[in-house]
Amino acid sequence: MRNTWLIIQREYLERVRQRSFLVLTLLLPAIIVGAFVIPSKLSRMKNSKTQRVVVVTSTPQFGEIVRRQLLASTKPGEEASADADKDKDKDVDNDDQPSRDYAIEVDSNSSEPEQTALRNRVTSGDIDGYLWLSDDAVAARKVTYYGRETGGLMEKSWLRDQLDRAILLEELAQRGVGGAQADELLKPVKLETMRLEAGRETKANERGTFFAILIMVMLLYMAVIFYGVSVMRAVLEEKNSRVMEVMLSSATATELMAGKLIGVGAVGLTQIGIWIVMAGVYALPALAASASTGEIRIAPLTLAAFALFFLLGYFLYSSIYAAVGAVITSEQEGQQLQFIILLPLIVAVFMMGPVMRAPDSPVAVWTSMVPFFSPVLMYVRIAVQPPPVWQIALSLVLLVATIAGILILCARIYRIGILMYGKRPTLPEIVKWLKYAKG
Amino acid sequence: MNTVELNKIRKSYDEFVAVDDLSLVIRPGEVYGLLGPNGAGKTSTLRMMIGITVPDSGMVSLFGEPLRRAHTQRLGYLPEERGLYKKMKVLDQLVFLGELKGLSGHDAARRARQWCERLGLKEWTDKKVEELSKGMQQKAQFIGAVVHDPQFVVMDEPFSGLDPASAVVLKDAFLELKNAGKTLLFSTHRMDTAERLCDSICLINHGRAVLEGDLGKIRAGYGKRNVQIKYEGDARFLHDPKLVQSFNDYGNYVEVRLAAGADPQELLRGATACARVNKFELMEPSLEEIFIEAVGKANA
Repeated sequence: MRNTWLIIQREYLERVRQRSFLVLTLLLPAIIVGAFVIPSKLSRMKNSKTQRVVVVTSTPQFGEIVRRQLLASTKPGEEASADADKDKDKDVDNDDQPSRDYAIEVDSNSSEPEQTALRNRVTSGDIDGYLWLSDDAVAARKVTYYGRETGGLMEKSWLRDQLDRAILLEELAQRGVGGAQADELLKPVKLETMRLEAGRETKANERGTFFAILIMVMLLYMAVIFYGVSVMRAVLEEKNSRVMEVMLSSATATELMAGKLIGVGAVGLTQIGIWIVMAGVYALPALAASASTGEIRIAPLTLAAFALFFLLGYFLYSSIYAAVGAVITSEQEGQQLQFIILLPLIVAVFMMGPVMRAPDSPVAVWTSMVPFFSPVLMYVRIAVQPPPVWQIALSLVLLVATIAGILILCARIYRIGILMYGKRPTLPEIVKWLKYAKG
Repeated sequence: MNTVELNKIRKSYDEFVAVDDLSLVIRPGEVYGLLGPNGAGKTSTLRMMIGITVPDSGMVSLFGEPLRRAHTQRLGYLPEERGLYKKMKVLDQLVFLGELKGLSGHDAARRARQWCERLGLKEWTDKKVEELSKGMQQKAQFIGAVVHDPQFVVMDEPFSGLDPASAVVLKDAFLELKNAGKTLLFSTHRMDTAERLCDSICLINHGRAVLEGDLGKIRAGYGKRNVQIKYEGDARFLHDPKLVQSFNDYGNYVEVRLAAGADPQELLRGATACARVNKFELMEPSLEEIFIEAVGKANA
């Protein structure tokens, strides 16, 4: 134990003290900010240009309804205050709104020459587009927008929704229903789901659950890719120099492997920890706000499972990297094996969907027991709908046993690999080594 | 109680037999040389002796008991090539190695500093290992092997690749340990080094012990069959096949190997008959000659 602890300390301190650790710790957040925040800021700047759109319809009254509808829905403040229920769903609706301002002009001349004129205006840049709402088109519910940019999917569906509503309002007005009465009729339904759990009723929180799952899986994936390789490299480096002999004259191979795995692993955790704190500080105002409205609520059990399964999953995959490091003779060989190591993790990510939909199905239950999948799938099950305790316990036991097993296996390979320089062993050779290395 | 006893140890890798029924005894306080050409099985033997690998058969005893894990704390090991973490500072590295051998961090640091001072590494303790020259790395490696004051120090080719000055410093440190009563074992393929330093030797070839035991006794067993002659004049006497088996002219002197059963006095008479003899000395055979002869016999 003392030796393992000493090795953990050495691996940890040597790495954390290196300048590259500091550089990466600061650089990655900078890159993320650069890659996500700046482009989104840029695109917002570009879109702030007012869009000039002409609505062409033979009925000026209808044109006016369309104009109001379009303008109202692009100014969140107005509509929100008009809507009595300013709840969180407002934000959700706002997601679909175009971020730009519109200037709408109504044109009651729907003749052919006018269309040609409008085309020319679009081409010359005088207007950005026009909406052709001839009586025929409206009757057939098939209208066309002509523009320089036809906008993204979001914008298209937004436009369609607004037109639907405008046409309904117009029809209602023709049937003598107008103003507040029409608004009342068109009020959308809001669906709320409640989760019943041991007799207690809590607000179901799909968003929170989904985010908790997404964040954990992304973190796990990132950690494995980033730090698994450093575990592999640490083993390889030592094997290729004769440090290994010196170490083996003082400590057992198992102590060495465990020390490396935990030491290098802790470096990764430290770095991720720093990033989480940084992200937390950055996002604190938003988090506090959403916590007060109860938008994202994560159960304590989910949080505990997050920590536990993340750690175990991380160590499981790192131990596989360590084993690969013990077998290979150069880093290039390791890179070729990278994908194979990650394959089970990728499969687990693909299984997430089915498991989330049916967390109690036999497939979900059994795949969440398999050690290579359980860090993701058992965690998903716990987050969606906590499974029986025995299932969680069993998957944990299997996971820990697998990590220990891989470590011991890898210590044996490492110990025998000492005698082979410059040649990568074949699989039968490895099997033979494992038989040799009983002592 | 012998420091080391190897009893018919054997190690093979696949088809290749690296060590073949090797037995040897190392007594406390002696300097022991494990000799042999490259690939003879020296390193394999050392590794089994200190528990890095396990023999396929046979028995390894250290300090009078079968080898166990706890023994590693009482021995120090210096591998053949430099085996230090390159990116680590010298002192940190030595403290780490000392701690692994059971020292407290404080003791390890104190002893490592003392040793660095003694071997002239004082200014380098805060440098990374990779910044050191090869000779200095070897010194650091040596300190790593002895920082915990082991009773038994095992060194694999400690002098290979060292400049003469570094080799002398290391040799002095070596003798210091010997005088402090430590048992030292080193392997080398350089017979002259072994000749100067060792009390006992084991000569191995193809994984087998060719000769083993006290160096003086081994030499005595081979008899004084070499003669060093300094002369001026006719060299005819060197060509008598009844007396001279072979000779080697080094310019300043000639080394003569006597033929079997030849009387050295007869050679001296023959030499004085035709030349002026300045020096005539009967010599013990060199280790190199013994080795060549022993290997020749073993192969015959």
